Amino acid sequence: MTDQPETPPPPLLSAFADDPDMIELVELFVRELPDRIAAIHRALESRDLQALATLAHQLKGAAGGYGYGTITASAQMVEDLTKAETEAEEQAASVHDAVDHLVKLMNRAASVPQA
Amino acid sequence: MMPRIGSRPHQHVLVVDDDPMILRLVEARLHGLGIKLTCEPDAGRVLDWVRREKPDLILLDVNMPGLTGFDVIRQLKLDPSTYTIPVIFLTGMDEQTDKVKGFDLGAVDYVIKPFDPAELRARVRAALQTKALMDMLTTQAQIDGLTGLHNRRFFDSQIDIEMDAGRRYQHKVGLVMIDIDRFKAINDRHGHPKGDQVLKQVAAIITDACRSSDHPCRYGGEEFAVLLPESTPQRTLQAGKRFHTEIRGSKELISLLGRSVTVSVGTACIDPLIHPTAGTLIDKADRAMYAAKQAGRDRVEDGYLLAG
Repeated sequence: MTDQPETPPPPLLSAFADDPDMIELVELFVRELPDRIAAIHRALESRDLQALATLAHQLKGAAGGYGYGTITASAQMVEDLTKAETEAEEQAASVHDAVDHLVKLMNRAASVPQA
Repeated sequence: MMPRIGSRPHQHVLVVDDDPMILRLVEARLHGLGIKLTCEPDAGRVLDWVRREKPDLILLDVNMPGLTGFDVIRQLKLDPSTYTIPVIFLTGMDEQTDKVKGFDLGAVDYVIKPFDPAELRARVRAALQTKALMDMLTTQAQIDGLTGLHNRRFFDSQIDIEMDAGRRYQHKVGLVMIDIDRFKAINDRHGHPKGDQVLKQVAAIITDACRSSDHPCRYGGEEFAVLLPESTPQRTLQAGKRFHTEIRGSKELISLLGRSVTVSVGTACIDPLIHPTAGTLIDKADRAMYAAKQAGRDRVEDGYLLAG
């Protein structure tokens, strides 16, 4: 893999970005995402699959409701993998990749199109 | 004309989810439905709150720390005062077995998170409409057509609920039986329409003399029963005396018949922990009322003082 810092990935916008009833709520959701990312990293580092499953489960249920369907899908993947009955080392690797994908999406989430 | 159901402004919905993000979202998505919404992140506080507030609908998350949604609904369905409250599961668990389990435990519906806002609103509206209809049906089936008081059917089920609550929260339950003296003679002499007016007027007097938490009922022909939750023998006797005095002195009744209407009243109050069956309470009040008749009518007898 090659790093391409000069072309940052495009922001991920809420499906409800144009919904005046939702703007404030979506902003709040996005603002709280860094806390959730930190919690996910903590769970991953301490190999706490239970906590990771709970965090992914919550995110799966909430993100789509705030207009981020791709985050819900990615969180679903993480949750499924934490509960999959596979060999430990293989599971750790696949969970790691899935979390990586999820966190990238969360980092891209933005409430309003950036100027 | 059909009453407008589904647009009742005072229906109360409780949302229980440990995730504040979900609570905020549900609140925003149900905004404008004209309902009162309460959000609760702590499942442990739900049961007491529901017993007290009796919401019209509960949206309940399954996966919560401490009590799960399945635990909560099990408790709600065990308690006669809460088991008719509809529950919609709102959950990210989308396994077929979980859905079936939710319905088996008594849920009326199931919404998967993330939810579509229009779908959530439609399901909430449908559940509230059914609840409003059920409320209307139970109310109509439990009201006496002539007097507007609760009927015997209501009395029979409510006395069990109050005995159960009394046991649970350690309160005594009081009962006052009121029988109009020589009612047959009133009908014979003044005709049945007048007799009906007397029944209505006595019912109105009893209702006015009750606390709002008491349950005045038409027990039979000319017999009334007032159920007093959280009472004491003294308070029950006082209530009995109040009904007796108010009916005897009623100007409306005097102008209706040209004389006072009198009643024979029996009161009883028991501790459901000691006497667990409603039958005991009814029997005591009934015997007290009969003793009042035997002693010459137009009086109050306290079943508390009777033997047995």
